[in-house]
Amino acid sequence: MPDPLSTALSGMIAFQRAMEMTGHNIANVNTEGYSRQRAEFSTREGQGAATGYIGTGTKIVTIRRVYDDIIGQQLQASTTSHARFEAMNELAGRLDTLLADPATGLNAQLTSFFNAVQDIANDPASLPTRQALLGEADGLVLRFAELDRQLSAMDAEVNQRIGAAVGEINQLAEQIAELNEQITVGRARTGQPPNDLLDQRDLLVRDLSGLVSVNTVMQDDGSMNVFIGSGQSLVIGNEARTLATVPNEFDPTRSEVAFVSASGQVPIGNALTGGRLGGLLDFRGQMLDPARQSLGETAQALAASFNEQHGAGMDLYGNLGGDFFSIAPPAVLTSSNNSGSGTASVTIDDVGALAAGEYLLSFDGTNYSLTNADTGHAVAMTGSGTAGDPFLSDVLAIVTGGAPAAGDQLLIRPAADSTATLARAIDDPQAIAMAAPTRTSADLANLGDGQITASEVVDQDDPGLLATAVIEFTGPSTYSINGAGSFAYVSGDPITVNGSQFTITGTPAVGDRFTLEANSGATGDNRNGLKLADVQAIGILDGGTVSINESYGRLVANVGSATRQVQANYAAQGVVLANAENAQLSKSGVNLDEEAANLVRYQQAYQAVAQVVSVANTLFETLLAATRR
Amino acid sequence: MRISTYSAFQRGLDMMQRIQAGLDRTQQQISTGRRLLAPSDDPIAAARSLELRESLARIEQFDRNGEIARNRLNFEETALVSVNDVLQRVRELAIQANNDTQSAEGRRQIAAEMRERIDQLVALANQRDGTGRYLFAGTRDTTAPVSVAGGAWVYNGDQGQRLIQIGEDRQIPDGDSGADVFFSVKDGNGTFSTRAVATNSGDGVLGPGSVLDPAQYDRDTYTIRFTAPGSYDVLDSGGAAVTSGAYTPGASIAFRGIEVTLEGSPAAGDDFVVEPSRNRDLFGIVAELAGVLETPADDAAARAALHNGVNGALADLDQAIGQILDVRTQVGTRLAAIESQADTNASLSLTIQSTVSGIEDLDYAEALSRLSIQATTLEAAQQTFVRTQSLSLFNYL
Repeated sequence: MPDPLSTALSGMIAFQRAMEMTGHNIANVNTEGYSRQRAEFSTREGQGAATGYIGTGTKIVTIRRVYDDIIGQQLQASTTSHARFEAMNELAGRLDTLLADPATGLNAQLTSFFNAVQDIANDPASLPTRQALLGEADGLVLRFAELDRQLSAMDAEVNQRIGAAVGEINQLAEQIAELNEQITVGRARTGQPPNDLLDQRDLLVRDLSGLVSVNTVMQDDGSMNVFIGSGQSLVIGNEARTLATVPNEFDPTRSEVAFVSASGQVPIGNALTGGRLGGLLDFRGQMLDPARQSLGETAQALAASFNEQHGAGMDLYGNLGGDFFSIAPPAVLTSSNNSGSGTASVTIDDVGALAAGEYLLSFDGTNYSLTNADTGHAVAMTGSGTAGDPFLSDVLAIVTGGAPAAGDQLLIRPAADSTATLARAIDDPQAIAMAAPTRTSADLANLGDGQITASEVVDQDDPGLLATAVIEFTGPSTYSINGAGSFAYVSGDPITVNGSQFTITGTPAVGDRFTLEANSGATGDNRNGLKLADVQAIGILDGGTVSINESYGRLVANVGSATRQVQANYAAQGVVLANAENAQLSKSGVNLDEEAANLVRYQQAYQAVAQVVSVANTLFETLLAATRR
Repeated sequence: MRISTYSAFQRGLDMMQRIQAGLDRTQQQISTGRRLLAPSDDPIAAARSLELRESLARIEQFDRNGEIARNRLNFEETALVSVNDVLQRVRELAIQANNDTQSAEGRRQIAAEMRERIDQLVALANQRDGTGRYLFAGTRDTTAPVSVAGGAWVYNGDQGQRLIQIGEDRQIPDGDSGADVFFSVKDGNGTFSTRAVATNSGDGVLGPGSVLDPAQYDRDTYTIRFTAPGSYDVLDSGGAAVTSGAYTPGASIAFRGIEVTLEGSPAAGDDFVVEPSRNRDLFGIVAELAGVLETPADDAAARAALHNGVNGALADLDQAIGQILDVRTQVGTRLAAIESQADTNASLSLTIQSTVSGIEDLDYAEALSRLSIQATTLEAAQQTFVRTQSLSLFNYL
């Protein structure tokens, strides 16, 4: 026969447990990752009698945590995306401001450099003005170097952050593995889910997904396996694997993430996506590298085009202009995996044809081949790679050397590393070539009214460029050059002699003479200066369509719009994450009002069953009194 | 929907932070006056504004260039005015000296003044601009362009002309070479010159002549030879007769598309030469004139030689004056071009500036009203937060 006392007692115990659980819920209202817990009540087995089954009270079957796996996974996924854009957003914003700020950007300095060129063109003989151009050139070089230094610093920071993220991943993996063990043991011992440990593990996995995109698989024993990248296992049961940062095969200053396995460290490169680590890698690959490359191209274009025009002019000493700027040739990086000792020296053939940030030169045992490292497409080359007959692609001229082994690779970075090497190559203000190298004149004794235009250099490499040539009219429509030959004269037709071009107009008389000669002593000539000032506006890059100024403007716009996209994505992912968090909290979070109501409920129930004890006691006493005689 | 206490709290907090971020941005915009705080706010506008600022800086430079060219051209103009004054004075003196009543002593004095005027002309040709560059040396502007060697004047500059960039597509010369200004004066009437041969014994005086038909004139050297006091032959350089005629004083003699006028009575055997113009230097012209005046003119033939010489030199002098005037006209045109380019640049720069301002600058009215809306919203959010957070069932237990 059921005992009302023990029936009541079961209720008292159950409700006391439930109140303890409510207290636990209330106490954890602010605990991150905590899922509210519910007591599952169930009736105790009734005792059968002739009159029917009579219940024996209540019991708590289990304490269940209110948690939804689907919502949990959504939260994980949105944490991954959000963290990725968060990492990108912060760095992109800094890059964006760095490039555009008038105090740090390149534009103001470029403009004042070219304005200084015009200032000399106004008074080419003035040494102070020439000195000022050298100063402006230093300012420009310094600005390039400073920008490059800032970008390098960001690169170094990205390396550091990658290292830190890898460290955190390793720590989290270890903690998850440890919790896996505790959970498995706990479950096995009691047969009940260790709710608070599960919450902790879910929180750790969430933290991990903030660092890198993860996949989780639940096991029957309650442990959770965690995979990253393209299916590499990070946690299996109570075993955690580790990641490490290793230097890049070609560029030791660049950190890459590698998986530590029994056979060594295997770089996993681009397999890691999402999370802070993915965001860092994306920022480096999609924003920082292109920015450095673009800046390097601008520097290469400036040096190449300004030097070329400068070489077509004549300085105050009467010499053809030397290089105004110096800049390092493309960097050639040797793979640490190479077994041979192959080397290459590379020059840029046509800076306007640069199509990739990096090129890969591979040796297959007999032949070299070149590929665009960004796209992987093959790049055609002619030549044999010797100094006399270098490999020529549309962009690069490559001279190979050393003893390469089959499978060896060299990475060619045409522009990105050259920004910092830009320097002024001229120290002497008088060596600035503002004058054209040749001049023309009409003999003052000429009888005809023939006029000669100023000469224009069309081939600055002509060996006879600075030689004197006398055009003498041997007839009304014929002339000789230096007394030799007879050429037909047509008024206004261009005449090219010794690499210089000019025209004669009008009707020269027989015997009239015109002279083309080296332009020595022309301290006031600014013809080359005007062309130097134009260098900033002529198309050089991208097949001769983008000028130096535009190239920097394009960099600013590219970084700006990439940053804008990142910001928009970051904001969108913020909303998605907030929604997922709300869904999660809505499901699992503690509501204090609810707990207060539960407290009242359990208290009332407790008081009621306590009353049953009292009634049972009265019944018992009644029975005792009835039998006391 | 079930609300957890934590999320109710967190959501209120997030809301306030979001409004605060917006408020902070508005505040930054107002304090800098800029709509765009970073290129990412509007990448296209940012790139455009870089380009426009670059154009503005270029225009500023063009204005500076124009100012320098204007300065030089003003120097040149001043020098040319002085040259013109000197030449006019020489012309007056020549006419004065050409008068038969003028005594030999008077002519010598006039010649002496002319020689001084030559020095003045040389000084003007060797004038420098304010920064010490020679104005008339072409591009060899650190070399004095005119020097004297062996009684003749030599040009040491070149024939180059420096162009100055005064607009995006506009270049203008900031000077003229001395070769063009002082050393290429076409003598005679600009096409041909006339002279009497020194050994003439008659007193025929030849005028400068003129071109009738440029197509017929073949630039040969012709000699008008008097076979008798009343008749002449015109011979070409090969000695072949081109035409011949009877001489009437003051009537024109025309041949091969040109005509010349002869006065006085030439003697038989007198020669007058008509030859194509050559480039002469201005100094030489004045010096020749002085030389003519210094030659005694006692008899009729000598006086005719004097008149012939002065006439020839006067024609040359007029060419020189015309040449200077031409150059001055060009200088004036260039100054006007600089002026008009400066106007163009100014209006261009104004347009660009207003475009830049439209792109970059803040609409203060809009920003201030946004600020007050954001402030109000934040206040409301704060009050709501405090109210909802104070609600709890525990208050009643």
